[in-house]
Amino acid sequence: MADHLDALEAQSIYIFREAYRKFDNLAMLYSIGKDSTTMIHLARKAFFGRIPFPLVHIDTSYKYPEMIAYRDRMAAEWDANLIVGQNREALAEGMGPDKGRLVCCEKLKTDGLSRIIEEHDFHGLFLGIRRDEEGSRAKERVFSPRDRNFEWAYKDQPPELWDQYNTNFAPGTHIRVHPILHWTELDIWEYIRREKIEICSLYFARDGKRFRSLGCMPCTKPIDSTAVTVDEIIEELKTIKAPERAGRAQDQENAYAMQKLRAKGYM
Amino acid sequence: MGAAIEQSEPLKIVIVGHVDHGKSTLIGRLFYDTGSIPEVRYREIEATCKAQGREFEFAYLMDALEEERDQNITIDTASTYFKTAKRPYVIIDAPGHKQFLKNMITGAARADAAILLVDGAEGVREQTRRHAYVLSLLGIRQVIVVVNKLDIVGYDRAVFHAVENDIRSFLHAVGIAPSFVIPVSAREGENMANRLGHTPWYAGPTVLEALDTFSDTAVDEDLPLRLPVQDVYKWDGRRIYAGRVEAGVVRPGDDVVFLPSGKKTRIKTVEKWQEPALARARAGECIGITTEDELFVERGEVIAPADQPPSLAREIRASVFWLAEVPFLSGKTYTLKLGTAEVEATVVSIEERLDSSTLEVTERRAPELSPTEVGTVVFSLKNDIAVDQCADNARLGRFVLEDGVHIGGGGIVRSVSDGAGLSARRIDLGAKRIDGDEGNVVDLTSERGNVEFDVSAGFLDALAKGNRVLIRLRDLSQLAPIGLLAYEHSFRFEFSRSGDRINVILCNS
Repeated sequence: MADHLDALEAQSIYIFREAYRKFDNLAMLYSIGKDSTTMIHLARKAFFGRIPFPLVHIDTSYKYPEMIAYRDRMAAEWDANLIVGQNREALAEGMGPDKGRLVCCEKLKTDGLSRIIEEHDFHGLFLGIRRDEEGSRAKERVFSPRDRNFEWAYKDQPPELWDQYNTNFAPGTHIRVHPILHWTELDIWEYIRREKIEICSLYFARDGKRFRSLGCMPCTKPIDSTAVTVDEIIEELKTIKAPERAGRAQDQENAYAMQKLRAKGYM
Repeated sequence: MGAAIEQSEPLKIVIVGHVDHGKSTLIGRLFYDTGSIPEVRYREIEATCKAQGREFEFAYLMDALEEERDQNITIDTASTYFKTAKRPYVIIDAPGHKQFLKNMITGAARADAAILLVDGAEGVREQTRRHAYVLSLLGIRQVIVVVNKLDIVGYDRAVFHAVENDIRSFLHAVGIAPSFVIPVSAREGENMANRLGHTPWYAGPTVLEALDTFSDTAVDEDLPLRLPVQDVYKWDGRRIYAGRVEAGVVRPGDDVVFLPSGKKTRIKTVEKWQEPALARARAGECIGITTEDELFVERGEVIAPADQPPSLAREIRASVFWLAEVPFLSGKTYTLKLGTAEVEATVVSIEERLDSSTLEVTERRAPELSPTEVGTVVFSLKNDIAVDQCADNARLGRFVLEDGVHIGGGGIVRSVSDGAGLSARRIDLGAKRIDGDEGNVVDLTSERGNVEFDVSAGFLDALAKGNRVLIRLRDLSQLAPIGLLAYEHSFRFEFSRSGDRINVILCNS
């Protein structure tokens, strides 16, 4: 297979089918962003048009209204089973980024996620993370076990050889499956272009600004851009020097913010 | 699509070698010289280094974990990307410390090519050799050796050549012919992307030029079809067999057999989502197929041409590398995962236990393999599985071993049998010959099953000069190939038996 995107796609499909066969009670984390939207498209390819597990969105209540409207419209179009999770308790107690960004992420996202996992007894989760996004993600396995407390033993990960994944785990472990770990940001956009995947409008420039990475309103800043089409975004990415998550404030909190968040179960 | 460069598949290279031989610096240099380090990232590392009171450290590009930076070691594999004018690359960093060998192998198993790094001042070390051997077991054939830190030894040509000879002879022993051996200083940038003029005696390519000569390890379309069944979807009243074509091509109308069940049928459709009537699918593609007959077959079966099937194995001999903390034990039963098949595999015999850094056979008929050790192992399988020898088709000739809940090691299939005896194993008598108290000795007592002999010119020569070689046999079945060998080369052999030992002396007639 000469084409790079075909090879990436085939690898993702292989991972999806492997996980679906090996684990019961799977769900896919849907963040509404370009990566998880692309991941859903790949799942439909793997399962001949179906999405044979629920989508889970952890709503912090700080999302852009455009994101929520887009999410609901797409879920209906895909005929997907969408589960929306929210840490209402923390929100009721006034949790927000003013309490500290990392604390807020942990409460509203990580804790929100673990509640949903417990409630539905999910044994595994598909997540749309990529190795090129950020340092601690580069260290991930495709099938990544988490213990009872959702913690990631990044210092002692099981080996993963060829396409043989670890699929047996001690009781209480849950598994994170990363079907697009091997893609880059540019790959994602080129695939979106080729497959004509509909992406949330916030990615396209309005009044000289666009979002490169979508998150919560208080912690996500748009970049200066005039790119209003996928073609223009691809051209822009080829010249851009800033890292993808530069607009995500929680990453900048301290040098190992993401590693610390992720060790506790953050996506 | 955009420019041609975006369409070409990135070459995945793994960088291996002994700890502190300069892996991270080499990677940093490749990024720096190809303009692949984002400005912000560069400044961020600069600031981290400043805060720690150090010089700028390229290593921080790859070592992202806090423990890695504090202790200045690479714990786990990571991937980063750079481009030359010719094509994109993915660098897979691999930890050099022995205790992280499982992470090194996890990284290296994804690679198309490897850079094996040797410190020019320190020379070949334990992990250099161990990593080289692992590359050979993983089937990585495109290898560049980089002799680094030559700035420390004043770019001395003799130092470089001494290291070069050393590493070449070791690589030869594991069946790797390095494509290039390049003298460099990753710190100063000599022979990385540029020639700085310190090695006028070196006429070969720079590291980047050498990398650009490599090809993506293409999946093989010319081999016979191998389509392991990954899953069976019974949707919309149809039975779709889902899987990835591991080798060859599949087309509607092909006569195929499912193995190990042996069921035969014809391919009806080859499908992808929204493409229900593909004319064919090639190696590397994930597809679904339907068949003319409604068969009840399971995940783990392999779809192959009826006239070119893989072997049905009940017993295999393999090279195994062991990574888990608990030892690999003779007599124990593991789960062997090959393709999409899983089978209980009992260790009949660890025929040879090797020190993976010296390749010395440390023990025959060993009771166990310790972590990072390698061995020649015979497994008895509970059920038949469809396999190829690794030399014929790596995709169906390599496997992992599950020990309890985790993958504990891996291996490659050297030979297979249907349970009635392994197919003949070729033994190089020259390589097996050792100097014993009784003179030249070849010990075959740990060989199982049928053997065939290869003899080198040197071995024949030694016999012709009047030397005698004592061959210790496991049983009388090994006598026939020796008789054949003697007949073919006009040698005489004397057969003797003392106690439970059977000996043959081979000599010039």
